[in-house]
Amino acid sequence: MDIKRKKRRGLQAWVSWWIEKILAASGGITAFIILLIVVFLFKEGVGLFQSPRVDEGYVLLMHSSNEVDQLSADELKGIFDEDITNWAEVGGKNQAITSLRLDQIMDRFTEEELGGEYEYLSQRMGELIATTPGVIAFVPTLYAPLDHPAVQAMTDNTIALRDFFVGKEWIPTATPVPLFGTLPLVMGTLWVSLFAILIALPLGLGVAIYLAELASPRVRSLLKPVIELLAGIPSVVYGFFGLVVLVPWVQRVLDLPVGETAFVGSLILAIMALPTLISVAEESMKKTPRALREASLALGATHWQTIYKVVVPYASSGISAGVVLGIGRALGETMAVLMVTGNAALIPHTLMQPVRTIPATIAAELGEAAAGGSHYQALFLLGAILFLMTLIVNLMAEALAKKQHNKGF
Amino acid sequence: MIKAESIDFYYGEYHALKNISMQMEPNTVTALIGPSGCGKSTFLRLFNRMNDLIEGTRLEGKCWVDGVDIYDKSVDVDELRKRVGMVFQKPTPFPKSIFENVAYGLRVNGIKDKKFIAQRVEESLRGAALWDEVKDKLKKSAYELSGGQQQRLCIARSLAISPSVLLMDEPASALDPISTSKIEELIYSLKEHYTIVIVTHNMQQASRVSDKTGFFMLGELIEYNDTKKIFLNPAMEETQNYITGRFG
Ligand SMILES: Nc1ncnc2c1ncn2[C@@H]1O[C@H](COP(=O)(O)OP(=O)(O)OP(=O)(O)O)[C@@H](O)[C@H]1O
Ligand SMILES: [Mg+2]
Repeated sequence: MDIKRKKRRGLQAWVSWWIEKILAASGGITAFIILLIVVFLFKEGVGLFQSPRVDEGYVLLMHSSNEVDQLSADELKGIFDEDITNWAEVGGKNQAITSLRLDQIMDRFTEEELGGEYEYLSQRMGELIATTPGVIAFVPTLYAPLDHPAVQAMTDNTIALRDFFVGKEWIPTATPVPLFGTLPLVMGTLWVSLFAILIALPLGLGVAIYLAELASPRVRSLLKPVIELLAGIPSVVYGFFGLVVLVPWVQRVLDLPVGETAFVGSLILAIMALPTLISVAEESMKKTPRALREASLALGATHWQTIYKVVVPYASSGISAGVVLGIGRALGETMAVLMVTGNAALIPHTLMQPVRTIPATIAAELGEAAAGGSHYQALFLLGAILFLMTLIVNLMAEALAKKQHNKGF
Repeated sequence: MIKAESIDFYYGEYHALKNISMQMEPNTVTALIGPSGCGKSTFLRLFNRMNDLIEGTRLEGKCWVDGVDIYDKSVDVDELRKRVGMVFQKPTPFPKSIFENVAYGLRVNGIKDKKFIAQRVEESLRGAALWDEVKDKLKKSAYELSGGQQQRLCIARSLAISPSVLLMDEPASALDPISTSKIEELIYSLKEHYTIVIVTHNMQQASRVSDKTGFFMLGELIEYNDTKKIFLNPAMEETQNYITGRFG
């Protein structure tokens, strides 16, 4: 008997060879594209830590006797908001701070003193700084009297990693330095999605159990398409519903100052996640082998005991996949959340506060951020953070499902 | 003791069991044999009301388990199933640990006493001749056992709730010869305490383990007698043909 492998010939062999290769390649290509997106996000974003904090074309000037030469973004903001009023608070000598912006400087002089074309502005500025030892001035480099002996420019740092990752404020338009603290956004995102899961999981699981186990075939064939239809509604519509119905309702019932809260965001997110969650969970419960069900019933377990001791555990990986898919879909669909959470970049302390999520921030701000500027870069880094967050959640869900399957519950 | 009287069973229009009357004694092993599709499983599943789960079925006639008419309205099906254990053709361990598989029936029974559960689990595993093989890995997933071990685990699982009847639907058909002979020995030792009914396609197995044998064909009980009699000197020609392999 000839059992040697024969060379396949002809067009058919050629086509099947190519199909095989294309299928094999498509997996690799998908992974590669995902990698490319991540690299792109980081590449666009990572320049943030090399760009100066102060906007290009501006400098911070101080009196040359001032020994402070390092100020964090928060400190600078404090100084210009006049929350910090003494140099001693930021490590200098005991001296009152006079913070000046360009318009404040110009207000101190008459038009003649400045000159028609502002040709004396630089000189006046030098004089002003020389006579005010506690000064810090935020001015365009063009007019900065840098050769004046009593003036020193503050050495500007690049944006610090620390400020980005644990900074408590996100104010990209603040001057003299924008604040890119991502903590409130990360927290906002986590809060909204976490509570969305807490709301959606029991509800979705309940409906899925009802559909898979209890509903008569007629009810099931009626309900399933309706639920699947819900998944197709654009998220703006959900957002609109949230804004017009849920927000005022929550505000009235809970007697809150504003209705746009993390809570409503979670609610909307949960509603949007439900159809996917229900469909996936229901299908995986339906897949529980009949033999397992019968084995459980044959041991005298009731229908309910069989559901929660056999069917739900058996379907647990499908259920967690449903949660991740549902929430993932909902999180990605920024609009609805953007519309109902109030978008205040504050670290939330309760669910009943306005919050702002990462996707909402990106959607709202990318349009107005100058390409290549620090704001733009910060938004790209936010995208990368969001990607990492979803990745971690996905991996966790997968690990959880796997663990349960191997070890028993 | 279990008993069926004038049973007619229908899957929708299909008449699967035709006027069957049969009585199985305690502490005996009764084998049900017959060609595929003749209704052995359907008949077996009457006694723990497993057929109730299938839509569109209809039953005429009466079934008794230990003197109780089990299709009477007053019967609690879950309670009945605790009295009548069932082992299926393919091993069906739950996706749980070995220990939890055996403890399952106790737990759904509302038993919480940990010591009692541990003791019952050990007794049942010993009863199913599995204890020595698994005593060191009770916490491991039941899926890590071999097919034969899984089937003995399923038997142990049924034993744990102390049923009085044990129904086995081709319990060894998916197993290798060694596992099969272990299960056969097990069945033999179990009959001391239980009423056992076993469906099998294996003639040698039926003659080895059973005391009485019923031969089914096309939904009818053709012959029911002592196993020796059935295999050595059957009364019906169909039986003779079947056991000698000229039919089926
Ligand atoms: N769920 C069902 N719905 C409809 N008909 C069924 C169903 N289960 C079994 N039947 C039919 O009832 C008849 C008896 O089936 P049963 O499973 O009892 O046979 P069996 O003797 O156990 O066969 P086997 O030896 O192959 O297991 C068969 O003709 C089968 O097609
Ligand atoms: Mg069968």
